[in-house]
Amino acid sequence: MSEELLKAMAQSIIDGESEIAADLARQAIEAGLDPLTAISKGFVEGVNQVGDSFACGDVFLPELVMAGEAMKAAIAVLEPELKKRGAAREVLGKVVLATVEGDIHEIGKSLVGTMLTASGFEVFDLGVNVPADQILAKAEEVKADIIGLSALLTTTMVRQKEIIEAMDARGMRNRTKVMIGGAPVTSDWVEKIKADGYSEDAIGAVNAAKLLLDAPA
Amino acid sequence: MHFSSRLLSDSEKERAHQETLRILSEAGVLYHSEKALHLLETNGAVVDWAKKIAHIPEEMVVQTLQTAPKDFVLGARNPLHDYPLPSEVSRYALDGTGAFALDFVTGERRYGTDNDSALGLRVFQAMDMGVGAWAPVSAEDKPAHARPLHEFFTMMKYTSKHGQHEVHNVRQVPYLAEGLIAVMGGEDEVRRRHAYSLIYCPVAPLMHDGPMMDAYLELGSLDMPVMTLPMPVTGTTGPVSLFGNICVANAEALSTILVIQLCHPGRPVIYSSATGTMDLRNGSYLGGTPEMGLMSAALAEMGRFYGLPATSAGCTSDAREPGPDAVLEKVITSIAPVLGGSDIIVGFGEVDSDQLLVLEQIVVDNEIAHFCERIFQGVDVQQEKVLTEDILTLGPGGNFLTRRSTRRMARSGELYISDLLDRHTLEQWTKLGRPGLYSNARKRVEQILSEPMVDPLPDQVLGAMEKILAGADKELAGYTQS
Repeated sequence: MSEELLKAMAQSIIDGESEIAADLARQAIEAGLDPLTAISKGFVEGVNQVGDSFACGDVFLPELVMAGEAMKAAIAVLEPELKKRGAAREVLGKVVLATVEGDIHEIGKSLVGTMLTASGFEVFDLGVNVPADQILAKAEEVKADIIGLSALLTTTMVRQKEIIEAMDARGMRNRTKVMIGGAPVTSDWVEKIKADGYSEDAIGAVNAAKLLLDAPA
Repeated sequence: MHFSSRLLSDSEKERAHQETLRILSEAGVLYHSEKALHLLETNGAVVDWAKKIAHIPEEMVVQTLQTAPKDFVLGARNPLHDYPLPSEVSRYALDGTGAFALDFVTGERRYGTDNDSALGLRVFQAMDMGVGAWAPVSAEDKPAHARPLHEFFTMMKYTSKHGQHEVHNVRQVPYLAEGLIAVMGGEDEVRRRHAYSLIYCPVAPLMHDGPMMDAYLELGSLDMPVMTLPMPVTGTTGPVSLFGNICVANAEALSTILVIQLCHPGRPVIYSSATGTMDLRNGSYLGGTPEMGLMSAALAEMGRFYGLPATSAGCTSDAREPGPDAVLEKVITSIAPVLGGSDIIVGFGEVDSDQLLVLEQIVVDNEIAHFCERIFQGVDVQQEKVLTEDILTLGPGGNFLTRRSTRRMARSGELYISDLLDRHTLEQWTKLGRPGLYSNARKRVEQILSEPMVDPLPDQVLGAMEKILAGADKELAGYTQS
């Protein structure tokens, strides 16, 4: 029974079916299945398969994103049960994400959030047009391992620099790494403002985050 | 007759209009501008103030659109470059605000500077198919709080063609106004000539920036035309289908025009779009695809459906560097809006998804524009082109090179002569070092830049502009809203 259930869980992720994934998660709880087993032997198997197929070019981004959304739906059901049992799923790291102040472009940042969540990070997405103080306060509150800063405009890129300087001033850089992204961001800019990590796209952001935390790619 | 296309039938355009009306009233549009929301609410929209979303009813859309001018002349500092809208033919605008430039001397790709814009604008000035300038790169060497003003002023300085650019907030408005008045020689001239316009990009899907919108409403006092350039991307910031994305772009365009008209009825507006498609492998924006060309053409038809001057992005490419990939994509994204009757196609000079300015590309794109123009001109069947008499006179085996008609039409445009493509014989071409489109374009750029600047502004005006910019650099510092 549980073997079949685990397979169905993986399949729900591969199919990108959030409702089915959530339903299977509920079934697992009712059947008394360990939520950690449901995650690692069930849903994560699906994530891994989709990830591998995506890397080979057999899966397109919308399919990957829907798999990520299904994973989120399953976790949302299982997380309270985990807490009840005093257990916690393995989280690769905590990430505070935001589009910087003066910039209301959202999609790229949100895509990074989905990819990170699906890959095992805990993501706190603060949205768009977020002032530096708010980002730093949240990072301190949740003890973030990474702050991710998105900017689409050349005029708002400077906010990334200002936030890094503010982190320096607060002595946060040892505890928290900074990743930046956005269409005008380049590795030269990363170097110039002394950010820790960067990726040209949302997929690469997962590996960049893992690298920063010495997690296996 | 002209070779033109009809992408959407009348009923399909009506369908797009109806779907757009549903989007505007049911989903509504988010405005980060309180002023815009007040205008909309006062005139009949239902505003959810907590969400900043205006639900705009059909009657209001239809009624408000009526005040938008159906035609006007897009003026230029040098009136020889005035361009009446709508136009029978398609002409082009320089692409704008790319983040990067390919250094003409070193070949290095780097962030764009004020000087890159100046060079791009000087080259653009010499392009006969180009009618509208746009500061081609974001000037990274200028302070962010005054950057758009520097870019705007550089554009006014280095080209006497029509110029369109942007400002980012109300604080920048008086500096721009002062600069425009200095250049045009008076406030009335700014208002009357429409030599400078504003380019406005809604944030897809269905959102409007606050500070920028407020600034643009303020500039209505100078009657500055506004080109609205919605940019939904199929599958990410817009629905995945072309038709769905067209409806979102249309809703964004109309939701801009409505606010502009409510604030200043009769202010000139230009309907436009710069849609993209998602790269299915990594989610990136693509602007050099056949689908983008189709959406541009269809949206130009929608602009025409509303009786507005209708333009579109096009001549765009996602190639990382100039070359065959860029030419392929630029041709396909130009020809569709040309055949669709777009008044202006915005895209000269940049590759890498509108992010990289390449001076040679401006010249190459001008050539692509000529090729597309020739296709558009079609097959002329006026009497002088029939020439059956010549065929009868010469009969089988005749040599048409000896006919007067051949000599006469050699200079008539019947056969397009390319200055840029190399047509030497194989051995001559080899001896010449195998010249091609880009190497010839490079020579042309060198020549343009070695010549004196065309239509320079008087020293007195330049001095005034410097002073205004120095003031903006100092007085706007610390004002962070972009």
